[in-house]
Amino acid sequence: MAVLADRLLPKNKLTRAIWFGSLLMSVALLMLPLLFKLDGRPHTDWEQFLGRFHPLMVHLPIGLIVLVPLLEIAGAFRPALREAAGFVLGLAFVFCLGALTLGYLLAYGSGTVGVVMTRHMWGGIALSIAVLLCVLARPWWSIGAVPRVYPAMLTGLLLLLAWTADQGGSLTHGRNYLTEYMPVSLENIFGGRAVQANAPGSGSFYVKQISPILDANCFVCHGEGKVKGGLRMDSYNLLMKGGKDGLAIVPGSPEKSLLLQRVTLPSSHKQFMPAEGKPPLKPEEIARIKAWVEQGASPIATTVAGISTSNESAELPLQPVADYSSVLSEIQQIDKGQGAKLVQVSSKPSDGLILNTVDVAASFGDAQLAQFQKFAPYIVEAELGRTAVTNASFDALSRFTHLRALHLEGTGVTGDGLAKLAPLSELTYLNLSGTKVTAAAVASIGSMKNLRHVYLYNTPAQPAVAMQTIARNTQ
Amino acid sequence: MKQHPLCTDTECGPSVLDFPIPEGLKQEWAAIETRRRFLGRTGKVLGWAALANLLGGRALIGDAHAADTKGAQGLPSGEYLRLPHFAPKAKRAIYLFMSGGPPQIDMLDYKPNLAALYDKDIPDSVRGGQQLTGMTAGQARFPIAPSHWAFKRYGKTGTWVSDLLPYTARMVDDLAIIKSTNTEAINHEPAIMLMNTGNMNAGKPCMGSWLAYGLGSMNDNLPTFMVLQTKVNPKENNQPVSSRLWGSGFLSSEYAGVGLRSGGDPVLYLSDPNGVDREVRRKMLDAVEEINRQTLEELGDPETNARIAQYEMAYRMQASVPELADLSKEPPSTWDLYGSDAKEPGTFAYNCLLARRMAERGVRFTQIYKRGWDVHGDVTGVLPTLCQETDRASYALVTDLKQRGLLDDTLVVWAGEFGRTVYSQGGLTKDNYGRDHHPRCFTTWMTGGGVRTGITYGETDEYSYNVVKDPVTVRDFNATILHCLGIDHNKLAYKFQGLDQKLTGPTPASVVPGLLA
Repeated sequence: MAVLADRLLPKNKLTRAIWFGSLLMSVALLMLPLLFKLDGRPHTDWEQFLGRFHPLMVHLPIGLIVLVPLLEIAGAFRPALREAAGFVLGLAFVFCLGALTLGYLLAYGSGTVGVVMTRHMWGGIALSIAVLLCVLARPWWSIGAVPRVYPAMLTGLLLLLAWTADQGGSLTHGRNYLTEYMPVSLENIFGGRAVQANAPGSGSFYVKQISPILDANCFVCHGEGKVKGGLRMDSYNLLMKGGKDGLAIVPGSPEKSLLLQRVTLPSSHKQFMPAEGKPPLKPEEIARIKAWVEQGASPIATTVAGISTSNESAELPLQPVADYSSVLSEIQQIDKGQGAKLVQVSSKPSDGLILNTVDVAASFGDAQLAQFQKFAPYIVEAELGRTAVTNASFDALSRFTHLRALHLEGTGVTGDGLAKLAPLSELTYLNLSGTKVTAAAVASIGSMKNLRHVYLYNTPAQPAVAMQTIARNTQ
Repeated sequence: MKQHPLCTDTECGPSVLDFPIPEGLKQEWAAIETRRRFLGRTGKVLGWAALANLLGGRALIGDAHAADTKGAQGLPSGEYLRLPHFAPKAKRAIYLFMSGGPPQIDMLDYKPNLAALYDKDIPDSVRGGQQLTGMTAGQARFPIAPSHWAFKRYGKTGTWVSDLLPYTARMVDDLAIIKSTNTEAINHEPAIMLMNTGNMNAGKPCMGSWLAYGLGSMNDNLPTFMVLQTKVNPKENNQPVSSRLWGSGFLSSEYAGVGLRSGGDPVLYLSDPNGVDREVRRKMLDAVEEINRQTLEELGDPETNARIAQYEMAYRMQASVPELADLSKEPPSTWDLYGSDAKEPGTFAYNCLLARRMAERGVRFTQIYKRGWDVHGDVTGVLPTLCQETDRASYALVTDLKQRGLLDDTLVVWAGEFGRTVYSQGGLTKDNYGRDHHPRCFTTWMTGGGVRTGITYGETDEYSYNVVKDPVTVRDFNATILHCLGIDHNKLAYKFQGLDQKLTGPTPASVVPGLLA
């Protein structure tokens, strides 16, 4: 033990001074938030100006820190590289201090506070101290006195770096920046995004119309993670509480509500929101917020006069389907062989596919439809108008459980077995025009609650059921 | 180099020395063509080649080549461009184009107060020093001409509609009537170009071409974009419409509109001549295609691809167009709805019926042109005819699409290129008046997939002169149409001449949310 201590403890004056200095610096770093309290108030322009170089500067120490383990590993084969590692580590520490200073200036100068902000700050401080400790521990390792401490510290340093960087990224880009465009398949693995539960007031105008606008445009700086100007907008109560400059929302008076004032300023104005070159709110979004404020800014009201949302509530929202990207080659194959095509609804795979048969309508029958059954999980619309499909296809169709629209106009179906479509719970549109379908058959699917558009033009069922369809459409 | 099959000439490039130029010049040429010059020039060429490489191949030739070679591999353009950008409400659109500028004051923009202002001058403050057309700028006075026709309220929405439009009146609850459409152009050609291509100058692709390019075809046997011309009524003041209104501009000419003729064969020379059967035609086309492919290989002009595709389309149209235009199987209810006019090829009613049949067959975009709305004079004489020709057919089309379940995913647009003035052009009498071009407001309507129906959008002042609420520019109008079809107008762009060219142009445009369902 004594031998080890003898080896490790600094012997000469200089090394002792370095150790003492490092200790002092670590304490100073830890004290920083106490000395200059982040009070949520913006300070001088100079601080902000310099502070905004933080995102620029910060990548320098990141690069250097990541370089260190690479040099250490490569040093096993080329010793010269390992010699460089010590220098790079020291340099990393210097730039760490620089980045930390600028970051602190940014937070202090702009008066930003918040949970993520605080985490990022402590991450930055801890990171600087960790780099310093690595610098100190490295000589032990290189002379072979303590073989494990330094590699362990280096690993810890990298993990801390990743975590701190992630917090920083969330501050600049918002929390789900990384995951927003994650493919559905990956999302399933990682558990997907949080879905709004049926909390009280979940159908309200605020929840459906206002909150999403604020989420998309404001939460990054006025949310849980980052609170600029003392204003948080991520819940109704916090939004109504307002910020340091006053009330964001004054129910009944849009002109007194700071939120509406700020978003309608000329975009070059210093106080214009959303700040920092983010895209301005769209006129229709402003109109929605304005109407909502004018009419009392209620958290629970479901309608706001002058803003129509009736269609959105009446129609079943698009249900995402499984990602078909993995079966693309099979899809192309069947398209080629069949002549009938699977067409994407949109560039988003979760919007599904449309079965398009128009090019081969005359020869497309029950057998051909059966071949598409394996793609049923992806098909949201089947255009079978004027094809040769018959009543026999209702069995197959009942397995296309994601169908929203089914075209059978001008086909030979008579409605025998139409009731088999009952499991298609997402079906909203059914076109039977120009078929021999009977009123009795149509009545058998009367209980399908999402089926709002049934077309029976030019069928025996037309007069009796048309009335019902109209009644449904006007509900 | 491979010998071109149609080329009997040698493939050697021409030499300066063969040109019929003075002998002295030839000698001078030979003298300066030294080794030093050759090497110097070569250096420059290498420099340019490097620069071109740095800029990327697209800098010089635009995106056309890249997109079209992709298309040649059989990828539908929609897939290549990752379109639609979002799930569309409408899959197809029918655009009823009222060329000439329908007078909004006599049709849908009801201004009851004008009757009291008959023959009074329109206040200068309303005109606001606007520059007028050469046709009325010289007029000593601008007397207000109230509409000759009475208006009544219709539908659950209680929308005011002129007596001229008894059928449109029946469907007001299904329409989104836009009273605040406005344009920047005051004369036909620039205005109609602006409506159709987003630019007053010719040479840009029209809306139908953008849609064909972006969304691709739904039916391989019919063109993606079809244009129907209505037969001219010589009693009306017909302004010319030219094929550049459905031209594809800098996009491949594959995306240009295909016009059907208003009489006789819908497509000229489409039927095989006597003695030529379909097999012979096929063989001929195969041979032509082979030659075209050789040309493509040698010259790499993407337009050759377009030509090949057009031959193939024409071949398929030989079967699909006669079926499309065969109205013999239409039930009697069709004729009850459209009227007997629809039996006569080339009438607006016939075209509307064809448009419905195209919608059923998956034609992406159909545009019907109806000329004659340029009523500078004799409004009371001409306007009833114009309305009678179009009112019932428009109603029939919308109603027919609706009853057949097609209106859910078909967008129908009714628009001209501008409106007409409240003041009379030429003499104003109790019985008659004329109306000049008016860009500051005109009335249009939309219905179908994606449109919020049963509304009137925007307001004009009491003279139907200036927009006072919710203006809709041509750019916004077109952006909204694209939105209904699942397209973000800012993203449907094509790099050409250094600009990301868009239908809505570089000036910001926005989708009109008030028009959307």
